[in-house]
Amino acid sequence: MHIYDVCVIGSGAAGGVMAKELCEGGAEVIMLEAGEEVPPARFLSHKWPYELPYRGLRDEKQAPFYPKDISAIRYQDTDSGIGVDRVRVLGGRTLHWNAVTLRYAPRDFRERTLAGIEEDWPLSYQELAPWYEHIEQTIGVCGQDDHLEILPAGKHYLPPLPWRCSEHVLARVGKSMGIPVIPVRKAVLTLPYDQRPPCHYCGHCMDGCDVSSIFTTPDCVLPKARATGRFTLRQNAVAREILTDSSGRAQAVSFIDRITRSEEQVRARVFAVCCATIESARLLLNSKSPQHPDGLGNSNGVVGHYLHGHIGGGVSVYLDELASTKPVNQDGATDHVYVPRYNQLSGKRDYAGGWGIQVNFESYMFPDQAQHLRGYGAPFKAEVRRLQPGYLFLGTFCKAVSARENYVAVDPHQTDAYGIPIPVIHYRFGENDRALWRDHNASLQQLASRLKGTVFSSLDNGPGGFASHEVGTVRMGKDPQTSALNGFCQAHEVKNLFVTDGSSFTTSSEKNPTLTIMALSARAADYIKQQRRLNAL
Amino acid sequence: MKRRQALKIVTLGALAEAASQSVAAHGLASGYAWTPGDHHLAFFSEDENRMIDELMEMIIPADDHSPGAHAAQVSLFADLMVSTSDVAEQQRWRRGLEAMQEEVSRSSTAQALAKAAANESHPETELERFFVVLKRMTVDGYYTSEIGIHQDLNYQGNAYLSEFPGCEHEAHH
Ligand SMILES: Cc1cc2nc3c(=O)[nH]c(=O)nc-3n(C[C@H](O)[C@H](O)[C@H](O)COP(=O)(O)OP(=O)(O)OC[C@H]3O[C@@H](n4cnc5c(N)ncnc54)[C@H](O)[C@@H]3O)c2cc1C
Ligand code: SF4
Repeated sequence: MHIYDVCVIGSGAAGGVMAKELCEGGAEVIMLEAGEEVPPARFLSHKWPYELPYRGLRDEKQAPFYPKDISAIRYQDTDSGIGVDRVRVLGGRTLHWNAVTLRYAPRDFRERTLAGIEEDWPLSYQELAPWYEHIEQTIGVCGQDDHLEILPAGKHYLPPLPWRCSEHVLARVGKSMGIPVIPVRKAVLTLPYDQRPPCHYCGHCMDGCDVSSIFTTPDCVLPKARATGRFTLRQNAVAREILTDSSGRAQAVSFIDRITRSEEQVRARVFAVCCATIESARLLLNSKSPQHPDGLGNSNGVVGHYLHGHIGGGVSVYLDELASTKPVNQDGATDHVYVPRYNQLSGKRDYAGGWGIQVNFESYMFPDQAQHLRGYGAPFKAEVRRLQPGYLFLGTFCKAVSARENYVAVDPHQTDAYGIPIPVIHYRFGENDRALWRDHNASLQQLASRLKGTVFSSLDNGPGGFASHEVGTVRMGKDPQTSALNGFCQAHEVKNLFVTDGSSFTTSSEKNPTLTIMALSARAADYIKQQRRLNAL
Repeated sequence: MKRRQALKIVTLGALAEAASQSVAAHGLASGYAWTPGDHHLAFFSEDENRMIDELMEMIIPADDHSPGAHAAQVSLFADLMVSTSDVAEQQRWRRGLEAMQEEVSRSSTAQALAKAAANESHPETELERFFVVLKRMTVDGYYTSEIGIHQDLNYQGNAYLSEFPGCEHEAHH
């Protein structure tokens, strides 16, 4: 059987970057991806609701990314409002992400030292910074350096997105309250870049971009891997387990071809698991052997634990000062501004962490206020119309604390369409999460009232998670007793096994995770290259 | 729809997974477009459809700005949605329709609707609960129709722009 240098499992943000970096570094790489290619011609992004089977109300636009053979999962002992996100498509969630691209701050790697909670990461901001820079330049990011300690910047940005009226109003009011509003940093092109065209401001990023102006792995990094002549892709290949040799080293992946339903194996010298937080933990937990009876690299029982992600909430404000103005095309590239964490700028708090606010990432097509306004008849209809031009959406992303009690397990008695034990989610918010949520609610309510307008909020429903930002289940750490990976995303116990998606995060900040996932993946790829040269893998 | 998307942002996977199943379950290819013109009632009777159509037009009526729910054929959209929903949802509609029919026959359609809507924030009776369901369906159907999007809201987007015009109003800055 052919032995590849590296087998990368998963083609999302982590896997795409890993494959490109390794192929360009001279390695022969095979990528296994459970989903298949959904080419832009199949995207439904520009379709009008009345051109869709259920007017888009049953998520028809995203359905191609979520084939139903992936749906088996169980939530057990879980707070309401919790949902995890698992796609199956070439490109993973980069195909329909919103591309907000934020660096973690130096302090975000040091929660134990600075806030007395969780653990410090086994690497520092300074160690990751060159890789942030490298990824930003690879993917193309618009924005600017705002000279904020809480949100370090890179050196090269494409011009920022122009602001809408509502965003200027937000910035003006925010300024009066000491709340910063800055141009968003997004992997969306405002100029031609890397042979990709600039954005046409249709607002459909989360349904798939038909012209590759947003970063996706199939459009941006997989072609680079392919161009080396050292890249092999197997689509529709669902990894079931990683097999080890008698010394406990990873040796092969056993996978199921979704089309033929046959089981095959692929052998490699190194394995990079990039299946995202739920599925990566599931794969390791399902990889049991005499050398690894509790799952691969899991003799300390950490794998699957410390599941966390963002706590989210949303507030819609229909600004008085824009009510009844002439309708204009507000779609843009979803968010154009960002409110970086600000609670650290004022007084003492009885909890750790903070939140950032993403602004206007919802569609402008459907009038959300019609779901909330009371009454009916002509006055109701006129009021919906009157409010529409002033729509301002504030979506919050709050830090959640990583806790051992929250975990994903596998259920050997319940299997999916391929006979693979399904994931089972256990998650409850902790004290810090609730205290942060309360303070965040108060702050958002104050901001909304100062903005002056008609306000509808989902905050009363309580915290929800994880905004597709799950992390933590195969975490890095300094201490091999309480973590699964070292600072290079390498398994403590299995030297030729790397896990570079969000599951590797030691802790989460309030910032979106994907830039950090890609930087970690690129750094791990570089380490793999070095170690291979030294014959250390 | 946007509220749903907001929710999706926080509980994304669960909803998206459920949705893809419902699309698949009804054997609809994703390119398929439903149009009211081709629709044959599958859940409502002709009488029920007439009543729903009348009620929906009262919820979102034609005015001097744009046509209303009747012209947008929202009752037929409702039939599509309910006929492809789960049994619990269908029973909710059945019970609600019965309560509404009873009230209409006692008074008038306009009075029945006013009574149903009286307690919108905290509905307690079958009739009051039905108003919430009916209004939501009217809103969903109307504002996803050509009339709702283009004529009523005069929505300008879903376009291909060479540049995005930012705000240039001094007053907003
Ligand atoms: C609507 C939406 C908006 C978002 N917006 C942002 C944003 O603005 N900013 C941000 O930072 N993040 C955002 N995210 C999150 C972002 O998409 C993810 O953080 C990122 O894609 C994670 O990368 P990944 O490689 O870890 O996982 P994924 O991108 O999920 O890729 C994992 C891949 O592994 C494959 N896979 C899984 N199991 C197996 C298996 N057993 N065998 C083979 N293959 C397997 C999957 O099919 C998938 O292709 C958003 C997500 C969504 C859904
Ligand atoms: S707004 Fe821009 S990046 Fe987003 S889908 Fe449209 S063209 Fe692509």
